[in-house]
Amino acid sequence: MQRFFRWSTRWWPGVIFLVILWAFAAWSTTAPLEADLAAQSTAALKNIVLDKSQIEVDGRDVTFAANAFSEQERLKAVAAVQAVPGVRLVNDDTRLVAEAKPFVWTAERDVVRVTLGGSAPLPATKNKLLDAARADLKGVEVADQMNLARGAPDNFENAALVLLGQIGKLKTGKITLSDNKVSLTGMARDLGGREAIWDGLKNLPQGFSVTANDIEAPPYIFQAYKDPVAVTLTLSGNVPDEKVRAALVAAATRKFFSEKVVDKLTVSLGAPSGFAAAVVPALAALSRLSTGTLVVSDRELKLSGDALYEAAAVQIRAGLGKDFPHGWEYKPEISVKPAAAPVDATVCQQLFSDILGKGKIRFERNRATIDPDSAGLLDHLIETALRCPTANIEVAGHTDADGDDASNQTLSEKRAQAVVDYLVKAGLSADRFTAAGYGSTQPVASNDTDEGKAQNRRIEFLVR
Amino acid sequence: MIYVAMFHWGWLLGALLLGFVAGWISVVQRGSVSRGTARWLTALMAVLAAAAVIRVVPGRAGYWLDLGLVMFALYLVGCTIGSWLRGWVISRHRATA
Repeated sequence: MQRFFRWSTRWWPGVIFLVILWAFAAWSTTAPLEADLAAQSTAALKNIVLDKSQIEVDGRDVTFAANAFSEQERLKAVAAVQAVPGVRLVNDDTRLVAEAKPFVWTAERDVVRVTLGGSAPLPATKNKLLDAARADLKGVEVADQMNLARGAPDNFENAALVLLGQIGKLKTGKITLSDNKVSLTGMARDLGGREAIWDGLKNLPQGFSVTANDIEAPPYIFQAYKDPVAVTLTLSGNVPDEKVRAALVAAATRKFFSEKVVDKLTVSLGAPSGFAAAVVPALAALSRLSTGTLVVSDRELKLSGDALYEAAAVQIRAGLGKDFPHGWEYKPEISVKPAAAPVDATVCQQLFSDILGKGKIRFERNRATIDPDSAGLLDHLIETALRCPTANIEVAGHTDADGDDASNQTLSEKRAQAVVDYLVKAGLSADRFTAAGYGSTQPVASNDTDEGKAQNRRIEFLVR
Repeated sequence: MIYVAMFHWGWLLGALLLGFVAGWISVVQRGSVSRGTARWLTALMAVLAAAAVIRVVPGRAGYWLDLGLVMFALYLVGCTIGSWLRGWVISRHRATA
């Protein structure tokens, strides 16, 4: 043993070479060792969700900075780095991701891009939302301004995906999700976009609610143009559905006795409520004009044109009747057509016959009440009567042969009188008109067919 | 330590062989360190080992210290084996002579 100790006192010369060897080893291995430890540490963190993860290796010491999404994940990440073989010390610079209160997420749309902003709970969620936005809005730039934060409400991702589904329906606007409250502003891309977004929002997960939906839609336009030259009534713009379309075309056909109805309507969602109830009386008013345009824009209804005579203008300006829906605005711009030159009695008779050849004064079934659809026709008759102020006119009522003669006689008289009353009410002198009823005694067609009967039920204007 | 050993096995083997050679030579070599110097060196190594154990030296310097100590330890092992083997060879030689 003593001999061994003596030998050991002579081991020192080798230490000089050992120091040289050590210096070489330190010089050549430090950088690869650090790179290896950095790679292993990064690999150890692969399955842990972190934000801004940063690993710096100095010798065998690792400085580890990262933002974790929960305390548990944070501790797990630090432990994983500590467990990497070869790591001597871990300088723990990890933190928890800041908590957002309230947790706000936004999706903003302008003409060329969609910007996602606010907070997202996890990187995976953030990427999913970006992918969903890109898939929904092909060709639109998607800009990411989302930060990561803790404090998202339950089901955040589903709610955000539902909201992202709506962003394509906007032309411009912003959707904000603040905790579990949704608010929307902006302009819908299409007619009916507002309604489509409302529908879409019904898919929001339970617990989320819409606090403000200020989405506007482009104005809902409907137009009707009465062209006296082409003798047409052109309907264009939007109608809510096929049923309303058919109803409007039918109403127009009844009210416009000589014009051909041209249907250029498109069925679109997003009509204001009471659309048909507002448009039908407006079409009636338009039918009383010699030329005119009806423009419906959302709940505003603008009627412009020339009435056939002053009293008609006053009536049309006064309003569209008691059935005109509440909340709608009626803007009449009615002037009076310049009075046509007076004509003699013969021409007057010709004009009456022409008008009544194109359309008939309609009454309620088996009654003497004039159908409001005949207002336009009556206005033309009144205008003609005004052109021959000296002529006396017999208003003759006729019925078909159905029913007994006495009641037909009475009905024809009453109907003739109703027409006279209407004319007098319009401002014509009562002295010029006589009402006469002829029952079914003067048929102009066979009473054996429905068509013939319809022709026999008539009012005639005879200049005396 | 296992990681260091695996990562640097070439260098460590070098230290071991160097120690073996130094130990082999030391048996027949003249001249040695004084007892005082040996104590002083032992104390120095103990301080360095303590510093490595409590990890007080940071960063690269800490790594180099660890590396140096491991290499030194293996050098000592090499010396021990070398000296013992040389001693055994010599004693056997004398016995046969």
